[in-house]
Amino acid sequence: MATEGDLRELDQLCGGAKEYTEFGLNYVLLPQLRLPSGCTPAVLDALLCLSPRDGYPTRLYFAQQVTSKNGLNWNAQNVAILQRSWFAYSWNYVATGRPIEVLAQHLKALR
Amino acid sequence: MNVHFKLTAALLEDAIADLRRPHPFAAERAGFIGCKAAACRGGALVLAHTYIPLPDDWYLDDPRFGCVFSADAMRAAMQFALTNDASMFHVHLHDYRGVPWFSRPDLRESSKFVPDFWNVKPDLPHGTLVLSADAAAGLCWYPRQKSPLRISRITALGFPTRFVGRVE
Amino acid sequence: MSGIYSRQSFLGKDSATLFREIRTGVVGLGGGGSHIAQQLAHIGVGRLAIFDPDFADFPNLNRTVGMTFADAVSKSPKVVVAERMIKSINPDAEVWSIQDDWQSDFQALRACDIVFGCIDGFSGRAQLEESCRRAMIPLIDIGMDVHKDDPYSISGQVVVSMPGRPCFRCVGFIRQKDLDDEGRRYGEAGGNPQVVWANGTLASTAVGLFVQMVTPWCRIRPGSAFVGYDGDGFTLEHDMRLTVTGKNPCEHFERIADLGDPFWKA
Repeated sequence: MATEGDLRELDQLCGGAKEYTEFGLNYVLLPQLRLPSGCTPAVLDALLCLSPRDGYPTRLYFAQQVTSKNGLNWNAQNVAILQRSWFAYSWNYVATGRPIEVLAQHLKALR
Repeated sequence: MNVHFKLTAALLEDAIADLRRPHPFAAERAGFIGCKAAACRGGALVLAHTYIPLPDDWYLDDPRFGCVFSADAMRAAMQFALTNDASMFHVHLHDYRGVPWFSRPDLRESSKFVPDFWNVKPDLPHGTLVLSADAAAGLCWYPRQKSPLRISRITALGFPTRFVGRVE
Repeated sequence: MSGIYSRQSFLGKDSATLFREIRTGVVGLGGGGSHIAQQLAHIGVGRLAIFDPDFADFPNLNRTVGMTFADAVSKSPKVVVAERMIKSINPDAEVWSIQDDWQSDFQALRACDIVFGCIDGFSGRAQLEESCRRAMIPLIDIGMDVHKDDPYSISGQVVVSMPGRPCFRCVGFIRQKDLDDEGRRYGEAGGNPQVVWANGTLASTAVGLFVQMVTPWCRIRPGSAFVGYDGDGFTLEHDMRLTVTGKNPCEHFERIADLGDPFWKA
């Protein structure tokens, strides 16, 4: 679960982080998350899953597939979470912890 | 716009059983149903989750009306709406077979108290249902609309699934 | 045109009207979904929402009802094939054809009264069930498998996820282990062997369950919500897992927060 402090930290990178729980899994919505330079789009909604799901201990989902410097395996396409559709690349073994650190680890794939 | 109200057959059964219980002085009982909502093509869904019965001492003895509930009842419903980010639907029973409808006092009173739920949840639909032994009807106050909409469909889900309210 | 449904009048005097007005969703128009779409059209279902992003191809011809050789040559969208088939049986049917994953149009799915899930993979099924539960839509899922045995064996199932009743997780049809394994295999679920006769049996059972659910045709038997298919012995049986768990409330979809659209805006 993310604390108020965790959400305030995440707000540095997006437009108002908010926590949700769906079917026992914990998510943080990151509206208009600013991505590392070289990404297209540069800003979009993202969803940080802080619970184990589909074989990943944590996962970062995006509102659409992102183009970046690195070739990534976007193996999660049109995943329905919180009644929206999300996309994610395969970037495993990021353990759960302080949400801003989890997010940073996932964004490394885009650098 | 079409509003489709859905509830499980079990919740409907529980509500009817509660509403049928005799009261020391009220001719009719009432309850509230806490719901969630979602947009769908052509309209909206109202999805029933929790039936809130009213204890006997949350009624006021007013012989002019079949049922008058107290401020405690309204407070409990408001609190449920606030805590659960819920749409609230008042419900009562006309215990005969056939399609029910609201009496004039029902319509007059619900047009006063249902919009009060917008004091706690202004962006959600709220409303009122009337059940019969085998059918149902309802009105939905949709946000920012002064007059209520007649609920187009009411479905009780289970084995069997019954379409208990359908506007022809 | 009167009398089209006279041979199914035992389903109830209002059944023709009920079928005409009910909206059914069919997610996946392959071997199972195409059968279901055809049968729904035959019984007079008047409103359908059909979802499939794929195109006709030669490997589909062994089992996809309504698909022609010409469709495979021209790579017709599967929704086009299905809509054409539906309207050839029931010209008055209103068909929403969504040539995309169902997750691209939540509002179309939510408008359905019943959804038939005819997709591969546990993750896809889990997501579909979650969305159907959020919108309080009964979901009837079908699937078949061919197992390497001695030499092979065919099995399948029809499972119903009814709001307020045990879900796929409750009855052990979807397990966390299967979701995790599938995730680690990069979500690959397609390409499994499929045959028309097994799909037909499962599709027919699913449509029968749907009709039983909405018409007063016969006494409902709760065990009917999880039917296992032995494709070698050609039998259908109620799965014991529902018999054991059937009376317990669902523990996976019980919160009010699990209903509706969390981002609802009037």
